[in-house]
Amino acid sequence: MENSRRSNRGIEENTLAIFDSSGVKDARDVNDDRLAFLEAVRASSIVPQIGTAPTSKMLNAIFQILKDGTSLELIMASYQLLIELEKRFPRVYLSKFDIPKSSSGATVELIVINEAWSPFALGSESAYSERNLANRSSDELLDSLGFSLLLQGIAQLYNEMNLQVLDTKSLGNMLLFQFLVNVLEGDFLPRNTIYNETKNWVFLRESLLSMLLGSRRISYKSLIKDCLSIISERCRKDLENSSIKTVDNSDAAALGIALAELERGTCIAVQKLLVLIMELDKSKKQADMQGSTSRSDGSRIPLMEVILDELTYDEDLLSSFLQVFCDPKWRLEIILQYFSKYLTKPSVRTRKSNNSSDDATFHGVLKCFSNVTSAKSIVKKMSIEIAQLLLANGFNAFISLQEAGGISVLQICKDIVSAFHNLRIIDDIDRQLCTRTRAIRHGRTILYFHCGKHTKSFHFC
Amino acid sequence: MPPLISRTKTRFSSPQLPQRKGRTNSYKFSYFKPPCMGSNAQWANPPSFWKKVIGLDDLLQDFYKEQSKNIEKESKRRTSRKCYNSDDDDDTVQKNKEASLSRCFRECEKTMQDVSNEDEFPLWGLPVFGNQKATPPLVFSELGRCKLLESFMNSKENSFLELSAEKEETLLQRLLINGWISKLVFVSGDVEAFIAIWAFNLMLYSSSEELRSSACDFWCSILPSKNEVDPPSIRIDWFPSAAELKKALEIYGYVLDSSIDISSLSDMAHGDSGSKGPPQNIRYWIKFLLACFRIRGTGSIFSTSEAQEFLCIIICLFLDRRLQGLSLLLYDCMQSIISFFEDKDWKSSCEKTAEALAYRMPKDLNCLRIVECISGVDTRSKHLRSEISFQILINCFDPKVKDMEEILKLLLSINVKDKSCDLFKMYVYLVLTENWLFSDKLVEDKPVILEMWGVYLRNCSCQITSTDLRSYASKVRNRASYLLQSTMHRRDYD
Repeated sequence: MENSRRSNRGIEENTLAIFDSSGVKDARDVNDDRLAFLEAVRASSIVPQIGTAPTSKMLNAIFQILKDGTSLELIMASYQLLIELEKRFPRVYLSKFDIPKSSSGATVELIVINEAWSPFALGSESAYSERNLANRSSDELLDSLGFSLLLQGIAQLYNEMNLQVLDTKSLGNMLLFQFLVNVLEGDFLPRNTIYNETKNWVFLRESLLSMLLGSRRISYKSLIKDCLSIISERCRKDLENSSIKTVDNSDAAALGIALAELERGTCIAVQKLLVLIMELDKSKKQADMQGSTSRSDGSRIPLMEVILDELTYDEDLLSSFLQVFCDPKWRLEIILQYFSKYLTKPSVRTRKSNNSSDDATFHGVLKCFSNVTSAKSIVKKMSIEIAQLLLANGFNAFISLQEAGGISVLQICKDIVSAFHNLRIIDDIDRQLCTRTRAIRHGRTILYFHCGKHTKSFHFC
Repeated sequence: MPPLISRTKTRFSSPQLPQRKGRTNSYKFSYFKPPCMGSNAQWANPPSFWKKVIGLDDLLQDFYKEQSKNIEKESKRRTSRKCYNSDDDDDTVQKNKEASLSRCFRECEKTMQDVSNEDEFPLWGLPVFGNQKATPPLVFSELGRCKLLESFMNSKENSFLELSAEKEETLLQRLLINGWISKLVFVSGDVEAFIAIWAFNLMLYSSSEELRSSACDFWCSILPSKNEVDPPSIRIDWFPSAAELKKALEIYGYVLDSSIDISSLSDMAHGDSGSKGPPQNIRYWIKFLLACFRIRGTGSIFSTSEAQEFLCIIICLFLDRRLQGLSLLLYDCMQSIISFFEDKDWKSSCEKTAEALAYRMPKDLNCLRIVECISGVDTRSKHLRSEISFQILINCFDPKVKDMEEILKLLLSINVKDKSCDLFKMYVYLVLTENWLFSDKLVEDKPVILEMWGVYLRNCSCQITSTDLRSYASKVRNRASYLLQSTMHRRDYD
């Protein structure tokens, strides 16, 4: 052990000497050195069969390269290396071991390497301040405020529709964000698995995600607003037509291609972040009900409610959000929650006993549209366009999840056809609304194929 | 500190001269005492040591900046003083000294100029994509005949649905964008050739981002992935052939087919040709290829030799600087192809790919780029990395030499002290050899090889002095001393 630590230090000093750019003034030389540094870390940590984990200082240096964003090559290389190192030397992981006497056979244990490097400097716990002292670089790491500013910057970039001047720095920020979400995910998923097994809330309380969101230094709502605006802006953009202006031509081509790809990645990362938060909320609700949370856990509004609040006031946002947000489970959940605001009479909700909305199913929602009168009463509260949009998207998500069991697909298809039929009767003015006709067609076609399979003598309607 | 003095001189003689790395860089490894000269314990010096140097350096810079303004004035004054004292005997000596000094300066300046001209080695990068060709028309007259649409048209509710023939394609496009087509085919269990071809063409040639990305998502969802325990049983009536994929690449402007000499391309600078590079569809081309190579065994779309060819193409795409942003995607695609091969085919496929690449690659920074783009995360990619390095290396010397020791002997025979020795080539050899020997488990149980490698590194690090002005001298020296340290450490550790 002692031997390996010393050898680590040897590698650290050697590789960091390559990284050091004091005395080198030429930009190209600095870039060359940084690339050589990344390659040296790869050669010592990833390529050998038994690679040595890079030290915190080395990881900090790689992270710094990504943050600096001086060239496209550097940000891509540093991002890839960080992701690979995360995979190779995880900070948090589950380890299975067999207990011969236990009936279940194998038990899972959560291994957390506390002294491992992390791009986040969160919370005020003593462990962190100690680490910061050791790294003497707390300002280089990201705290919650830094994370929220990063997201804000990306959202602004998305909002400026034509992206007049694009630089590698903003592309670097996108990659940085993707890396951070990757870290949050790698930290959260094993903790959530172990929480679901042991119901021990401490595992999740100590997760990076929970600490990040619990911070008082950020505005949680504006963070979510930024997420939603990134998701919704994405589908409005047509990259080919936007003129990207950069210093020279070959750069523009490279940045244009990179932008398209990184934007997609960023959008997926934002969705991943939202899903993680919703999973955390779900576990927290369970822990709340079991009384294992305490006052110190704070009282953050569940993400679902924030999302619904945002979507309710903005029809454009709703439609673009539903088109892009692709996780079927949570998409269906959001739609069901949206409906539940209008379908059931708002009951008095308390934080600790909020069970009513969990019972909502897509089938239940469709029932409310099964006759013209009840459909009419819903449409009065929410506009007909929104009802159609939600039904069509809900149907899509339902089909994606159909292995979930329960009510048969055939029944749902019939219900959706009749729901749209009823909506059509209510609304015979606007016939061209494509969402509606589209959904009717899907319903019918799926019905058609199902009928072909199940009952040959089935007739429409 | 000798380097410091030499810097001062250079700056003094010509303040406007651009700073050269050859000199400045020599500090960076100043604490890297080559082991043959001193004990190992000394090689890590405290940072304070060179903070001092740098502080001094900055002071000097300010000082000479000021000095440079007055240089003309000073020289005038000096000449006037010379005239005044011209009879004096002592001044003859002084004059001689001055003359020799200025001659020395002039020589120095000239050398620096030469070095600076020489030092501008081009960056890596080949314009792998030239001008785009015309895309085939995206007209699908027979779309209406597909069963998917017929199910709408023939139903008695057609009047209710208000479908007309003109709207067919628009309808299908909307279905595609909203992800319905994949749902429909999963229900019916059958992907018709019409739909498959239509989506394939949209993916590769459509200029609408929405359409091409949805078409690609559609294809990726219907192609089975090996990770799924229970792959959905869909019959796909049509698969694209390798030729069709290569044709698409040609339309994007890909110029590297086997008939073209790559080295002729490296003369063409980027941007000069005026080509915009490949269209955005290239991203989906790569994604599609990635998904195709996930299918292994009996159901695979491509043959082993086609896989080798695509592996070559993907590695070549790494060389276009305009595709830098896609390196993660390219890398995933490469991993997918690498794991496609059967175990029995892998060794020969790896060799063939490496040979084909090495034969055509220009022996400059580009070949380092392709070696370094292979990540080495798993056994096969380590093997490939080592194999490609080896093949390029033997192509640099003599393709007939296949023996490890022979290659190392050839490397050892190069005299780095020789003024005519091309240190840039030396740098390329050094990096290639490192990757060849250490990516794979080649040096295990081969102390002779390790010994020769050590000698080679010592040659490079000790025989090139820190004041060597040749371009790439400092790079070779630094790299070699770094490798020497890590190799020695590796050996101690084992």
